[in-house]
Amino acid sequence: MLEIGAITKTYQGTPAVRDASFSVARGELVCLLGPSGCGKSTLLRIISGLTACDSGKISIEGVDMTTTQANRRPTAMVFQSHALWSHMTVAQNVGFGLRVRGLPKAEIAAKTAAVLDLVGLAAFAKRLPAELSGGQAQRVALARCLVVEPKVLLMDEPFSALDAHLRKGLREELKALQGRLDLTTIFVTHDQEEAMELADRIVVMQGGRVEQVGPPGALYQNPSTLGVAQFIGAMNTCTTNLRHGAVDWYGVTLRMHLPDGEVALLCRPEDLHPDAKGTAARVTRVIDLGPVTKVTLITGTGDLLTWTCPRDQAPDLGRVLTLLPRRLHAFRSGALMGLMEAPLPAQAQGATA
Amino acid sequence: MPDLGTTSGGIAPRHTQRTGLGLQALAGLALVALPVGLLVTLILWPTVRMVTATFLIDGTLSSDRYFAFFNDAYTMANLRYTLEMGLVSAVTALAISFGIALYLRFSAGRIATMIHGLSLFPLFVPSIIISYALVRFLGPNGLFQLMLEQVGFTHYRTPYLTPVGPFLAFVWENIPLPVLVLSAGLSQVSDHAVEAARDLGAKAPRILWEILLPQMRRSLLIAFALIFMGIIGAFTVPYMLGPPAPEMMSVFMQRTLGNLHDPEAAQVQAVVLMVISSIVGGFYIATMVKSSEAAR
Repeated sequence: MLEIGAITKTYQGTPAVRDASFSVARGELVCLLGPSGCGKSTLLRIISGLTACDSGKISIEGVDMTTTQANRRPTAMVFQSHALWSHMTVAQNVGFGLRVRGLPKAEIAAKTAAVLDLVGLAAFAKRLPAELSGGQAQRVALARCLVVEPKVLLMDEPFSALDAHLRKGLREELKALQGRLDLTTIFVTHDQEEAMELADRIVVMQGGRVEQVGPPGALYQNPSTLGVAQFIGAMNTCTTNLRHGAVDWYGVTLRMHLPDGEVALLCRPEDLHPDAKGTAARVTRVIDLGPVTKVTLITGTGDLLTWTCPRDQAPDLGRVLTLLPRRLHAFRSGALMGLMEAPLPAQAQGATA
Repeated sequence: MPDLGTTSGGIAPRHTQRTGLGLQALAGLALVALPVGLLVTLILWPTVRMVTATFLIDGTLSSDRYFAFFNDAYTMANLRYTLEMGLVSAVTALAISFGIALYLRFSAGRIATMIHGLSLFPLFVPSIIISYALVRFLGPNGLFQLMLEQVGFTHYRTPYLTPVGPFLAFVWENIPLPVLVLSAGLSQVSDHAVEAARDLGAKAPRILWEILLPQMRRSLLIAFALIFMGIIGAFTVPYMLGPPAPEMMSVFMQRTLGNLHDPEAAQVQAVVLMVISSIVGGFYIATMVKSSEAAR
């Protein structure tokens, strides 16, 4: 459906997007996820045609759109600031794209009413944008795009200015609507929870590059770079030296069949478990998150560890626990070297790499 | 007992606040007293006296002077010429300024900075200098004519002492103010508002007509009112560059007073011009008030 091939964009010598490539299937919702300044919004603007790329190719349904003007592309974009025109009513805002296309008045009115009904704003047609709440304004912006039936819907952090509760509600509405209309969508966000909840696949960007593309679960379970591992979900990071197949993990020696050298060992908080052979750490903070409890501990080496455990296993403050990782992601120079399932202390056998 | 503490604690600041507000209000009144006093003494009072005087002939109320004004063909030609000059010059200056403001809004770099500087330059040039410069440039045997003759064009007719002369000067003189007003107005239109229209398929003319102009309506009205009022009351430019007849009202007024020694007729001319200015001024104030209400 949409092919992004080796897109590069530089602003006054500073690369904003570097060699970005990925594809989006029809009806798929893909999130561009990354920290501020990683180039995700620039890439979205390049797809929309509002910003020209220096090199690379964009094609929609096999048609090269790289040099096509924004007003001739079969895309529509929802902006972070909703960008509604303050002098037009909701209906006029929504009908603008249809007026541009020269549709008859009756058809514009019918389509506008239908799409406003779709986003639940049928009663707000005659209101001005200033008379809408943030969530309503963003739904009008979405309706304004949906009414022109774009082949690709582009959304640039549309919910980031809204409060958390409203954001969650709109996210669910959007997902339902996108599924119902089978709408190919690219959604930019820096909020990993939002991306995990919405996306069929996530494109993780860092420093202008596409770091990894995959379904949310796969990215969480198998991050391919240190950047992705640290950006998606929480991680306990231990940077240490690997020598002769053994590595020191917070004072516990673990076996690891990897080449010698510096290595970053990352472990999810939920992948820690109490084990008598594990590293000793004292509980310094216990946060009840409802279904789970987040426990902060300090190890004998002075490092902080985060452990997420079931609520009924929550330890008391000050208690000393011994913990071992169930899974360890090993990275060297930012790249994944191996994933260790149930790594064992040096005196035991059976570690896998 | 804690309630008592809360109550007394609540009363004390309110009392202090009321006293503070009273002092603040008095200080505010004292600050505006001088300018308001000057306005009343030097402008409002003489204006009221002058308007009253135009309706008094030998101590009795009469509208004869206004009857004479509106029935004199030459006077009416001068009034029409003044209003037409104001309208055409203001609309032309506004159109040029809007183009410059649009360019400055959506462009960056050295050329934009240079154009910005050039567009504001007339703000610092007195009317008399502009008039002299135009006489020397566009007048008979001026630089423009000499340049045309150098390339073989010998049929040049100077705009000096024709309505085109003051028109050119008014347009040039009145570009900076609307550029500033319209630039401020355009800065309120977000890039995303324009991009959203482009993204939905709109081309530049439609974006200008349906997105930018409606959002700029207030700024345009304010700029128009300011230029128009300035032009219809201007003296130097029409005096230096304008035709002998018809005359703009300011020149006509000066001649009625200085050459024809008819102060009563000059006062009537002044009152008529003042009423027209007041209508446009009232329009300007209403637009400003709406803008501030919208901003709130």
